[in-house]
Order: sequence, then C-alpha cells, then structure tokens
Amino acid sequence: MKNKKTGLVFFPAFDWAISPTHPEREERLLYTRDQIFEEGVLDLPEIEEYAPRLATIHDVARVHFCVPRVQSQVTEAHLIAAGSATLLADAIIQGELKNGFALVRPPGHHAMRVVHGNRGFCNINNEAILVEYLRRHHGIKRIAIVDSDVHHGDGTQDIFYHDPDVLFISFHQDGRTIYPGTGFPNELGGPGAYARTINVPLPPGLGDETFHYVVDNLILPILDDFKPEFIINSAGQDNHFTDPLGSMRFTARGYAEFTRKLNPHLAVLEGGYAIETALPYVNLAILLALAGHDYSYIEEPERPGRMQENPERAAMVKRIVDQLRDIWENRDRVDLDKIFGTGTFYQRRKHIYYDTDYIEEEQLEKVRRCPNCPGYITIDSRADHGYGHPSHVFCVSIPFAACGACQAEAYDVYQQARKSSQYQYIYLQDKSTDTFLAFDRDKGQEWVSEGPRVGE
Amino acid sequence: MYIGIDVGGTCTDAVLLDRGTVRAMAKVSTREDLLLTLLEALDEVMKGINGELIERVVFSTTVITNLIAEKKYDPVGLILMPGPGLNPNLYRFPTDTYIIQGAIDYRGREIIPLRLAEVDRVAEELAARGYRKVAVVGKFSCRNHRHEKEVAARLRWNYPNWHIEEGHQVAGQLNFPRRVVSTYLTCATREKYQFFVRSIQEAISQRGIKGGVFILKADGGTLPLESSLEVPVETIFSGPAASTLGVQALMPPGESAVVVDVGGTTTDLALILSGQPLLASRGVRVDDMLTHVRALAVKSVPVGGDSVVERVGKDIIIYSERLGAPYCLGGPVPTPTDALRVLGLTRLGDAERAREAMQILGEPLGLSPAEVASQVTGKVIETIVQEIENMFTRWEQEPAYRVWEVLQKKKVRPSTVVGVGGGAAGFISQIAARLGGYPVIPPYAPVANAIGAAVARPTLQVTLRADTEQGFYIIQEEGYQGKITDHSFNEEKALELAKEWLCRRASRYGLEDCVEGLEVIRREVFNMVRDWVTVGRLFDVTVQTRRGILYHVGGGGYRHEK
Repeated sequence: MKNKKTGLVFFPAFDWAISPTHPEREERLLYTRDQIFEEGVLDLPEIEEYAPRLATIHDVARVHFCVPRVQSQVTEAHLIAAGSATLLADAIIQGELKNGFALVRPPGHHAMRVVHGNRGFCNINNEAILVEYLRRHHGIKRIAIVDSDVHHGDGTQDIFYHDPDVLFISFHQDGRTIYPGTGFPNELGGPGAYARTINVPLPPGLGDETFHYVVDNLILPILDDFKPEFIINSAGQDNHFTDPLGSMRFTARGYAEFTRKLNPHLAVLEGGYAIETALPYVNLAILLALAGHDYSYIEEPERPGRMQENPERAAMVKRIVDQLRDIWENRDRVDLDKIFGTGTFYQRRKHIYYDTDYIEEEQLEKVRRCPNCPGYITIDSRADHGYGHPSHVFCVSIPFAACGACQAEAYDVYQQARKSSQYQYIYLQDKSTDTFLAFDRDKGQEWVSEGPRVGE
Repeated sequence: MYIGIDVGGTCTDAVLLDRGTVRAMAKVSTREDLLLTLLEALDEVMKGINGELIERVVFSTTVITNLIAEKKYDPVGLILMPGPGLNPNLYRFPTDTYIIQGAIDYRGREIIPLRLAEVDRVAEELAARGYRKVAVVGKFSCRNHRHEKEVAARLRWNYPNWHIEEGHQVAGQLNFPRRVVSTYLTCATREKYQFFVRSIQEAISQRGIKGGVFILKADGGTLPLESSLEVPVETIFSGPAASTLGVQALMPPGESAVVVDVGGTTTDLALILSGQPLLASRGVRVDDMLTHVRALAVKSVPVGGDSVVERVGKDIIIYSERLGAPYCLGGPVPTPTDALRVLGLTRLGDAERAREAMQILGEPLGLSPAEVASQVTGKVIETIVQEIENMFTRWEQEPAYRVWEVLQKKKVRPSTVVGVGGGAAGFISQIAARLGGYPVIPPYAPVANAIGAAVARPTLQVTLRADTEQGFYIIQEEGYQGKITDHSFNEEKALELAKEWLCRRASRYGLEDCVEGLEVIRREVFNMVRDWVTVGRLFDVTVQTRRGILYHVGGGGYRHEK
C-alpha cells in the first residue's frame, strides 16, 4: 500500500457546457488546470495521470432508466466523466493505485434512478454507475459513498435508498436554504436499508470546526462499523467560503484534512462553482491529501473572515449528530413495521423538479418487502415537460442480490405493464443477470442490452 | 550543398548532401575536445569542396550535455517565490535555495507583495557564500513577470557583475519546478556555451563557409548558431532527434513508422506518425532533474551491439555498460554483435573470434555457440520489443482534456519498423516479425543521423496569451507583456498578433523565409463569465513555423517535403 500511487484523471471538458453562461461551462476547471500544472504535481512520483475512458451505454443502463433511451440523455462528455471513475477504480482494485481522484465534469450526484432530463447540472450519476460497476465487474459488496457537496446528493440517495449494501452519507447546507430542498435527518432509507442513508443538514455560515465535528463524531465512527470494502467521496467543493451558490465557510485545508481522515479509495468531483477563488486551491488540496503530501502551505488569496462560529448553530449540529449516532447504533433493534407498515410493498410518492430542464415529474415508487433479498422496485413515472403530452413510463428494477422469487415476480410485473396502454415506455433492469430491457409501446419493439460478458 | 554533423558518444557522423543525394560521408571518433571532433568531421566531408558552395551547416552538440553531466559549471544560487501551494521543501534543487515572499496567481494578479529588504538580505547571503550567478524564479511568472523583474533589477543594481537569469525568459510554459531547473541550467551553462559558439564561428569562417550555421535541438528543430546562445539548454539530447529526422528524410513522405536506432550501448526508439516525428508531451529529464526542454518522444533502451554479455550461474545476462569493442573486433568480452556474427546476421569482425566469444559463454552450460548466439539475440530483441510495446501504450494513454480529443484517439499502430545505426541490420527483421510489421533498412542507414541533421528545418514558435478582462497579453517565448487597447479584440486578432510576433522573431533570427506556411498548433478561447455576464475572454494561441525536414533523400529523387 505504501509505495502505490494516487491516480488522477483530469478531464476538464474544455469543449462542453450546459449553456455559454451556465456555471457548468468550459471555463470551470481552467484555473484548476493552471494551478495543478504550475505546481508541477503531475511530476510527483506519487501521482500518476491517466487518460480518460468512455463508460458504455450498458454501464449507464445498469443504474438509470433514461427516457426514452440512454443515448437521448447522455453526451460523450457524460460517458467520459463516468468512465474515468470506473477506469480509476479498475486500477485501484487491480492494485496499481492506492487511491484516485476523478477530477472530471460534468457532475452527477443529483441524477436519480429515472432520468427525464438534466437536474442540478446532472444527467447521469457518476458514483452510482461506479458502484454498480464495482459489484458487477469486481464482486465488491459493501460500498460507502460520502457526499461532501454543499447540496444534498439527492440523486445518489434516491438510487440507493433501498440498498442495504450501500451506505450513503451526505452532509450539506440545510435544505430549507438551498437546492434541492431535501436531505433531512429523517430521510434514513427504506425498510430494507434502514439507516443506510444518513443526512446531516448544516445551518448556513458554519466552517471547518463544525465540518470536522461531524466527520470525527459521526462519519468516521459509522464507517468504522459499516466496514465498507470501497469508499467513494462525492467531492463537491461548494461548501467553500467563496462559493457563489452555497453559504458555508469551509476552507481548502479543511477539505484536505477531511480527505486525509476519510481516506477514500476514490474521490469524484461534484459541484463547486467558485472557479477562481476556491477550485484551484481545493482541488490541489484534495489531490495532495490523497497522495499523502503536506497540504499545509495551501492558502486561498482571500480569508474566510470571522473565524468564530455561531454557537447556537454549532450546537444544533451537535444535536443532530447525537441523534443520528443514536439511530445508527440502534438500527438493528428498531421495529421497522412501526415505521414502514406491514404491507408486502412499501411505497412512496415523489415529486421531482428538474431545475435545469424545467420538467415536473410525479413518481410512485414501490419496493417489494422480501425477507430473502432487498426486493425488486417498480416506479410509475409521469414527466411534464411543459409542452406536449407528459411522458408516462413504468420501470422495474431487480437488485444485484435479488432472490429467485423476486426476480420471477418482477419479470411478470414487466410483462403485465407491457400490456397496459397507459405507458409509453416500459423498462426492466435486471442487475442480477446484467440484462436490461426497454419496450416502446408505439413501435411495439423491445430493445435488449446484455452488455459484454463478465471478464471481457 | 548541405552539411550535417551528429556528435555521438563514441562516433561522430557527417554527410555532405547535394540536393537529394549523399555526396560524401565521414565517421570519426568522438574525442575529448568537441571542437576538434566537429572540425575533423567537417574537413573530412568537405575534402575538395570549396567552402563557398556550402549553403548550410547543421550540427548537433553534446557540449551542454557534457558540462552538466560532469558538473563543469560555476555554482548558481536560487531565489524563488513559490507563494502558497506545494510545500516548498518538497522541491529539491542541487544548490543553495532561498525562498522569499511574493506571489502571483494563475491570472497574473499579485496575491502577496515582494519585500525588497528581504531580497537584499538574501543577496548578501548569496554574495557571502561566493555566488556570482543567480536564477530568480517565481510561481506563475509566465503570467506576470513583475516580481521576477523587480528582484533581478534589485540584484543587478547591488551587484552589477552578477549573471542573473529570470525564469519567465527561459520557460514560459506552466510548471514552476521545471522552470526553476531550466533557468538554473541556463544560468549555469550560458557563459561556457558562448565560448564554444564563438570558437565554432571562427573555425567555420576560416574554412570560407558563408552559408547559415545551425544547431540541432532535441525537438528536431534547428536554431541559428547565434540564436542558440539564448537557449543553450535546448541543444541537449539532439542525437536521437537527428536519427529520427534522418529516417523521415529517407522514407517516403507521410508514412508512419517505428524507428529503431541500435547503437553501441543504447538503442533509441522513436515514432513517426503520418510523416511527423512524435513529440514528447513533457520536457526532458536532465541529470535527473525535470526540465521544460521539448524533445521528440524518444525512449533510450540500455542495450546495444557492444553491451557486455556474461554468464551468471545458468543465466546469460546482457548488461547496460560497454567495455570496448565486440570480441570479434578485438574487444575484451562477448557482446550481442558477436552473437549476430555467429548467426551470420552481420559481417562485422572476425568469425572465429565471434565463435570463441559464444563458446566462452556457452561451454559451462553445455550449449553450442549457435545456441548461445540465438539466446543472446533473443534477449536483445525481447527487451527492445517490450519497450516498443510500452511506448505505444504510453502514447495511447496520453491525457486528453477535450471531448473531441478522447473520441479522436485512434489506436493505429505503425506497421513499418525502420532500423538505423550500426547494429540495426542484425536485429531489425526479427523485431519487425515480433511486432507483426515490415522491416526496412533504408540506404545510408549508418549515417541517417547526420542526414537528419542536414535537412532539419529551423523551428520557431510563439505562444500568445491574452486576457481581455485585465487588458493585457503575453508572448511566452519573449517574456513580453503588452497592453490590449483594442476593445474589439477577438480570436482572429489574437491569431494575427501571434503571427506578427512570430514574423518579428523570425526576422531577428534571420529566418524570414520560414514564416511561409505557419501552423496554428493551439487555439483556445474561454469566455470569462462572472454573475452570468461575460466579462472578458482568455485566448491561448500557439503558432509555429513548419516542422520537419527540408527535403527527402535517396532513391535518386529529390522531393521537397510538402
């Protein structure tokens, strides 16, 4: 482990933007490039730069139900960002690297399981694609994702809400004060994955001190218990004190310190839009921390000003931390029927807003409560684009560790839905066999994606 | 007529070219005195030719390489302004290094001011330690050279006799540690290099040569001798560039090939893609320090025709050193060349002695000379093939920062394997066979390096960076910073400005003819958007004169490179 290197894929996508003046534009990582190149860190023997690679459409279909098809929701830039994460993970698992940093754009942590368009600057979820890739190609079972973006990682939460083998921890600015308005302590995962989702909302204005209180007293102890085989950091950088979208006051060194403590296998860039005052410094700090180098000489030109934190707000965070630790420690003793009822299905209704593409989506999500496996999931989704007919689709997802009964039942449900006239598209995602089906009712045609066989 | 001279570690090769044909060749041993060696080679190919007929002389030189390797230069002190970022103690430069306050950011804005009192104090210490040469380098000085200039001016004022070198004038690319090393080496070698250049100039004029005299650089371009004084370090490692350009000149235009130059102790590998030699993406390593010096992507493998071969236990091992000529040529120990002789793959040397060499190795193992010989050549070929494979992989894995670059990257490997250098003939067919390609040994292969030098084009490059929000532009290679007054400054104007500077640079070097057919090799425009409004643009433009060779050689023809 000691002599191994830190891998870096730096893919600034200098020719890709959501729109010319959008925060997610060509210029975003320009100054980060300048800083990293000028420092000469790519010449350090502990750091190795890799050329990016494209993820496959099949890798995307393993996670998302893209409407109508994967190809209509992703550009090459998305595939490169996701592919860079899987490329580094391959090298880590094969023992070439000790850890890695996918310093890539576009980001992904707001992309949910069903994708009708772009929300929160994201189309597909890079971390989720990586998780499913790790399970399928490397047989890794327990994975933790720690999201350090100022915005709640609602997409990642949505995808793994019923997955007991994926621990998702997000700390972020309180959803009442920032997009996407979710991520409260009571969002804890479904009946089959209770307390595998942990959310720590932070009142605006808090800095490194509170940040590290949460890390030391909640995140690290939970990870210690959960014992993941692979840790992913959704490395958003908009908690920085100069970020134009967030209102937190973290520093570059605070981020580096966090990276050192978390010691993730892979950090994947998410948000962060202070492209001049934060990104060059925070990205450098994270990279140095991963490579085990001294980051104490990194200092932003601006200072965060008043260092004393508001004691009331800090106390509020401590209460939330205590409460969540309590929930975590008692997760196996809790009476799930009391929380989730006793039906064979647990269901929830979701209203999802796509801020970038102005789409309103209504979802009814059901998960089969199965004693032998995490249970299959169905989603009835209707998306209103603000013009024309809303699109109405039905999705069935069979988890990686599905039992035979759930798998058979899910195929029946898919066949039934195909006969119904209310859906335009019907999808089946069988992660247990890595087979994905899509049925277009108007054309009466079914597409099958089986992907390459394992080992290819 | 053109003359090309390539100085190697053991031999110096020279050719006299008359249009597309080789009129004379010479091979002399490289002696301690580089100047004498060069002149001997020159006189040899010029026998019976009037100096006035020589239009052009190009030579490679190892003077800087030797100075650095033998550390025969005056000590240089470093004054650095790294500002915030990496821990400056991580940088290990082989001399006294003083770190002072002052920092510039990536857009050239001052973030920490200088303290002149500190500059004075550091200068006093350097003086007390006996330094008279000082390199001053700041992080991001290529984006704003003000701090470097202020420090240098202060030093010159206080110590008028010091030789001071500023980082932004030596290396305008990003990468601070490499800029430090390049500036350090420039400062260390400039004076001695100047002496060498003056001696050459005198010797050449004594021979009545009035044509241009050029120096070959590691990137395969040439510089007028006089201009090379500005960038002495760029003259290092030009040997492999000479062979690669030689192959390019000896091959049909536009082809792709792997170049295998098998020498006495090393084998140099290079790639020619669609007729152009591949450039390395980063600067070369000099004396174990990373620099900004551009070079062709050449991999040196420590194995050659004269490498020492020994039996250790049951194994036959090829070492990287040379103890003299091959055994069959009267040398002390068995070498790969002896193996080739036994297998009939070369006619060099004495067959009986070669047999004897293989017998020495094989007898204790119960192997016949032929068996040992095929083991030895097999090992050499294996090593070279492995390195060629690695080279392909590295080239394919070069980072890309744009979507189109990722999509463009085609994995086409050249199928022609060209052998040059003394030992090529014996190995090249088997190497090509292992790679599934075709072996080619061009005519004049043993002097391909000198041919490459003779036909190498002069190269000039200008990189412009303009920041319209802050209203200034920089010419990287000149260390110049100017104001942008034009409110409608745009991409076209940036390009025009860069071309204008290139022409100015060309005429300063007496290379006006070269500005025909300029190439734009980089063209980046970034809109700077603040609060949803475009407040300015960043332009990065690099233009250069055409790279490559002046014409192809051999095949009886005379083709100008198009």
